[in-house]
Amino acid sequence: MQIQIQHLLPIPLKDKLLQRTSGIWNQDVSFSPGSFVKIKAPSGTGKTTLVHYLYHIRYDYTGTVLVNNRPWPSYNKNELATMRQQQISIIFQDLRLFEQLSAVENINLKRVMLPNPYCSPEKIREMAARLNVTHVLQQSSKTLSYGERQRIAIIRALSQPFQWLLMDEPFSHLDEENTRRAANLIAEECKARNAGFILTDLDDDQHFSYDVHYQL
Amino acid sequence: MRPFFELLKKIIHTGIGKSRFLMASVGLGIAMLLILVAIQVHSNFNQLLYSAKNQNETADFLVINKKITNAIMGQSGKSAFTPEEIDRIKAQPFVQSFGLITSSRFKVVVQAPGDLHFATDMFFESVADSFLDVKNDDWKWNTGDRTIPIILPSDFLNLYNFGFSLSQDLPQISQETVKALPLQVVISNNITQEPFIGQVVGFSDRISSFLVPASFMSWANDKYGTTREAPTSRVIIKTPDPSNPTLVKFLEDNGYTTNLDKLKFSKTRLIVQTIVSVIGFFGLILLLFAMLVFSMFIQLIIASCKREIQLLVMLGTAPRQLKRYLLKQFVPLYIIIGCVCVLLLAGLQYMTAVVLAKHDMVVSIWPGPGVFAGTVLVLGLVYIVNLLTVSRYVNKES
Repeated sequence: MQIQIQHLLPIPLKDKLLQRTSGIWNQDVSFSPGSFVKIKAPSGTGKTTLVHYLYHIRYDYTGTVLVNNRPWPSYNKNELATMRQQQISIIFQDLRLFEQLSAVENINLKRVMLPNPYCSPEKIREMAARLNVTHVLQQSSKTLSYGERQRIAIIRALSQPFQWLLMDEPFSHLDEENTRRAANLIAEECKARNAGFILTDLDDDQHFSYDVHYQL
Repeated sequence: MRPFFELLKKIIHTGIGKSRFLMASVGLGIAMLLILVAIQVHSNFNQLLYSAKNQNETADFLVINKKITNAIMGQSGKSAFTPEEIDRIKAQPFVQSFGLITSSRFKVVVQAPGDLHFATDMFFESVADSFLDVKNDDWKWNTGDRTIPIILPSDFLNLYNFGFSLSQDLPQISQETVKALPLQVVISNNITQEPFIGQVVGFSDRISSFLVPASFMSWANDKYGTTREAPTSRVIIKTPDPSNPTLVKFLEDNGYTTNLDKLKFSKTRLIVQTIVSVIGFFGLILLLFAMLVFSMFIQLIIASCKREIQLLVMLGTAPRQLKRYLLKQFVPLYIIIGCVCVLLLAGLQYMTAVVLAKHDMVVSIWPGPGVFAGTVLVLGLVYIVNLLTVSRYVNKES
């Protein structure tokens, strides 16, 4: 699955962004399938905005985002849903779990959205064990700490098939040990699917062996 | 899809406003029952009127004439039908067959035989044989026959037997005796006259007149007729259903009249039809409101779960999955309501059939096909309205 951006600029940040040089904004960039992409961005340069544009939940931009050579707006709602179920997964910065569901239900929601789930329940338990969240699986997500929620959100994103994984500061609430475990799991899962990811963060890091670096 | 819907159940609460939903469901049930009752009563009524089992001679003969009002009194021409009027009556859909009643244009004097000392001026009329309710082999006349067969109205003999004879101290006469009496009939045109023997061959309940065979009538009118062509002032029609409201309306609109007793059933039928229509109409109105409440209820659910629906869509839930889930929350209930209504109606119909059977009226103990068609139609309508509402609001939020 090919993701391409052409002269992408967020309308609200236009004036500010045109005054500085960026590797992404207002450029033609093509993300080659299967590559691990790191986008480093200082605060306020539109990091989350970019991820939302790539995932097509915000539309206030000029330029185009091409997915498989089709601009996002040409996809209808059901096609978009299919893409999100099978081609592209996301870990939101603000996690976005359902508070009325338990941790494991939040993961299962994504898992069973497809009539034929990609992961088995055992696989989910195994991933939870690797991220040290087995003990909170049955708890209401309302009662989880932010770090626990972040790991649940990671597992949720990994419970579906995808070609691209979008991550917006995925380890912001994790300590070093848990970050290492999560990064290993993500890398493994991406490799297993021959998938790539686009990760945005504030600083440089060594969590993955990145193929490409961009400065936002 | 099932485990996904189990999870959706925890996210999209359809429990809010449950009492409203329940009320709307009861409303839908009542509405449906009213509509089905209207359909079934209509079908029962048709069965009573037209089915072979209830055939108490519904096809009927009506003698139609113009109403004699004060305005046209004394002008005999005005009570006659013009050829255009006759053509119009013939053209009516409720007229199965049509016949003219021909009246005599000669003078008739009838004398009782022997020493009964009874003589009276009279008239004759004739009508095509197919309209007669008297079947008799003697009912024929060929030129040269001296005997004329005559049919009297039954009412005539009743008037004599129960009115005249009792008050005048005269003997009552049986139908058989009258048939045995040879009457002396003299027809004339004031210049020449010719005697005949009149033989009563039967009594008619259908046509209130003194009838002779058409062959005699045309012969006598030719030979002794005093005027050229007498206009027709009475016609007879055969109609499959004398209670047909359009027939009654046609008569009223044109100032025609007939044996009103035969039309009495029409009024009952009109009243029943009106009541049934009103019931059906209320059913429809109620259905409309029930659908409105359902639509508002769906809107409420979707609006109250707006954020959840948006997040679900963001995570990749297809709008069609959401729609299917939402419809799945309502449709089984509708089907249950439909089944309950049909069962109730079947019970009512069975009871009706039993009660009517005691009065020798036969209706089916099963609800008619119209009821099932009605159920499917109403459920289909409710489903479509729900589908549209769900689609509209899900699309709005997703």
